[in-house]
Amino acid sequence: MTIAPPGLRDAPAPRVAEATAPPPARRRGRGSARRRAAVAGAVFLLPSLVLFGYFAWWPIGRSVVLAFQRTNLVSPAEWVGTANFDALFADPLLPTAALNTLWFSVLSLAIGLPIPLLCAVLISELRRGGTLARVLSYLPVVVPPVVSVLLWKTFFNPGEGGVVNSLLGLVGIGPLPWLQSPELAMPSLVIVATWSGAGTAILIYLAALSGVPSEQYEAAELDGASVWQRVRFVTLPRLRGVILVLLLLQIIGALQVFTEPYVMTDGGPANATVTILLMIYRYAFLFGNYGVATALSVLLAGVLVVVSAVYLRVTRSWSTS
Amino acid sequence: MKNRTRSAIAAIVAVPLVLGTASCSQDAGGDDGDITTIEIMGKPAATNTAALELFEKQVAEFEDLNPDIRIEASDVPWDAKTFVTRLAGGSAPTLLRVPLTEPPSLIERGQVADLSAELADVESFDALNPRVMEFLEEDGAVYGIPEKSYAFGLVYNRTLFEQAGLDPDAPPTTWDEVREAAKAITEKTGKVGFGEITTNNSGGWHLTGYTYTYGGSVIEQGSDGTWTASFNDEPTKDVLEWWKQMRWEDDSLGDNVLGKQEDLVAEFTAGNVGMWISAPPDVYPNYIASGGDPEAFGAGAMPQGGADATLAGATVLMVNAKATDAERAAAVKWMDYRALRPNYDTEVAAETAKASAADGLPVGVPVLPIFDDKTYASYTDAISEYVNVDVDHFASYVDSLGSLEYVAEPPVASQEIYAALDPLVQAILTDESADIDSLLDDAETRVNAILAQNAS
Repeated sequence: MTIAPPGLRDAPAPRVAEATAPPPARRRGRGSARRRAAVAGAVFLLPSLVLFGYFAWWPIGRSVVLAFQRTNLVSPAEWVGTANFDALFADPLLPTAALNTLWFSVLSLAIGLPIPLLCAVLISELRRGGTLARVLSYLPVVVPPVVSVLLWKTFFNPGEGGVVNSLLGLVGIGPLPWLQSPELAMPSLVIVATWSGAGTAILIYLAALSGVPSEQYEAAELDGASVWQRVRFVTLPRLRGVILVLLLLQIIGALQVFTEPYVMTDGGPANATVTILLMIYRYAFLFGNYGVATALSVLLAGVLVVVSAVYLRVTRSWSTS
Repeated sequence: MKNRTRSAIAAIVAVPLVLGTASCSQDAGGDDGDITTIEIMGKPAATNTAALELFEKQVAEFEDLNPDIRIEASDVPWDAKTFVTRLAGGSAPTLLRVPLTEPPSLIERGQVADLSAELADVESFDALNPRVMEFLEEDGAVYGIPEKSYAFGLVYNRTLFEQAGLDPDAPPTTWDEVREAAKAITEKTGKVGFGEITTNNSGGWHLTGYTYTYGGSVIEQGSDGTWTASFNDEPTKDVLEWWKQMRWEDDSLGDNVLGKQEDLVAEFTAGNVGMWISAPPDVYPNYIASGGDPEAFGAGAMPQGGADATLAGATVLMVNAKATDAERAAAVKWMDYRALRPNYDTEVAAETAKASAADGLPVGVPVLPIFDDKTYASYTDAISEYVNVDVDHFASYVDSLGSLEYVAEPPVASQEIYAALDPLVQAILTDESADIDSLLDDAETRVNAILAQNAS
């Protein structure tokens, strides 16, 4: 994505400055005005710098340091070299958690990417009730995450009386054990995550869709394009940039999944839904092992940076073509 | 607007913002002149209105008796998942209320204060149960006192027992009998015969308690002082096999096995569960406060697998190491006033019992006493006229308290060990083809890794 056309970026700013340069006698006054403006700018920037520095950059820096220390946050921290990373790699749960997190990401992309897109295209095609559909699709986002997750926990009740099982029972399926089954627990979590997060993606897609010129659809229709061809050759190419950004955000979000497994399954059954973030949480807040917890956090952050960089590089040509 | 004016406004906006942020880190408690304010844990939840009223009355009386002390009470309970962080982050209260599994690590990390000097002045301190006190004392220093102690027992629904054709006055005493009774309850009533919990460390906690009844242990200490896992043997295998049969052959455990204690209390109160294992005296007040039928509640002995033993624990009160001398003294005064005095001072015991009974709170729930037998006997005499609990429904449990051996929870890394055992229990109860031997091998490796890390 480009911010400004290349021509503008290369505008000959110095020459403009030169042409309008003030006569030497007034230079001093201008200079002090510029300084004052710079001081004012710095003062305005200061609160943000302090807040970001104190609450974001400082903790990030501290966490990298902490990954190489042992501390209980009471007695002074002690340098332990790579011992935290060694303990981490010796933990037999790490591969399980990494695979679970990947599995969640794959499932949530497979389900969570096409559904909002499809919904957005359908809603944009509605002749009536478009606003209502938008409100309804966004409603789950308004429900606080823990509330929606607890709600779904009830829906997934494994007996015949569970809401989901009752509905499936109408078409002769089930009852299924959902969260009680090592195989079904993860897909159940993905359903909840998709339900809670789809609304935002739908709204973004709808905003992007409204920017597609109607002439292009009309031209396609005149050329005899079917609905699918219009979506395939007009809508999707226009949404490409938005899809790429949302996809990246979804990958990053999925790799950091926490609320659903924490509230619904506590990583169970039998570690089937233990994720990397749940492991970090347990290390820090259950076992008080902050060193290993931050070591894992730093590793995860590193993986996310690499994934994002590779992703952007691979898709750069695609997104601007 | 002129630049100077803009700069001035920016400064006016920025300075309080930054200062405001900095001032957020002030502590809640502390010494303010002659008044000492202490923050304490243990306030009953807002939903338990009668208990809360009594608690607030006690706080007011205590503050009247000690005009130089102010109490700020919190109803946030101890939680395995947040407590360590609260303590490390400096946001834990002055008075800590924690399970007996916590003191060893709290003492080792220097996070709790030595109370020997203050406790020496407390009447009847010497009459406290030595079996609990040994966890709270180290190298001559005393770090806390028990508020209440418990032993595992069978909690059961007398009404469902009757409906299933079982004798509610003769609850099962062995695991085989429990299995038969659970099967009968499920078949005759359609309810869950035996409830089980497996998340938030409760699976590991229960597995430990059940293993003790077969004579097994979870960890053991070698001659060189190091701890290793000791559960990969017959007693634990017997428990897992028993669970497997109940879940997959009898179908008497119900479909929902992925819950924690609170979930099961709610289901039991609603009359949907025949039996489960917990500390009956702890469950009973919550059961009544949630609207449970007093007539349906039964407490039996911990079912046995041949060892005549049961897991015993306690809730203990300790003081944050960061407390000042005045705060520490105030906290110990409150501990004595609220937790000890009603158990050893017969006059106070009778008054508290009278007030509780008047407020509709259960009085006379049989417990595992925190004081010696003599003190407990005079306490029960003092409250006898206010007892409103049908003690007969606890008969089997009370008998067992005198006959079963008490076994403590793992003394090191207990919560981590329980967390490592949860998946093992979950696997048995959610996967019909789960292989007990390989699951035990995996869990043993994991627990040994935890113990090795803990020792380093």
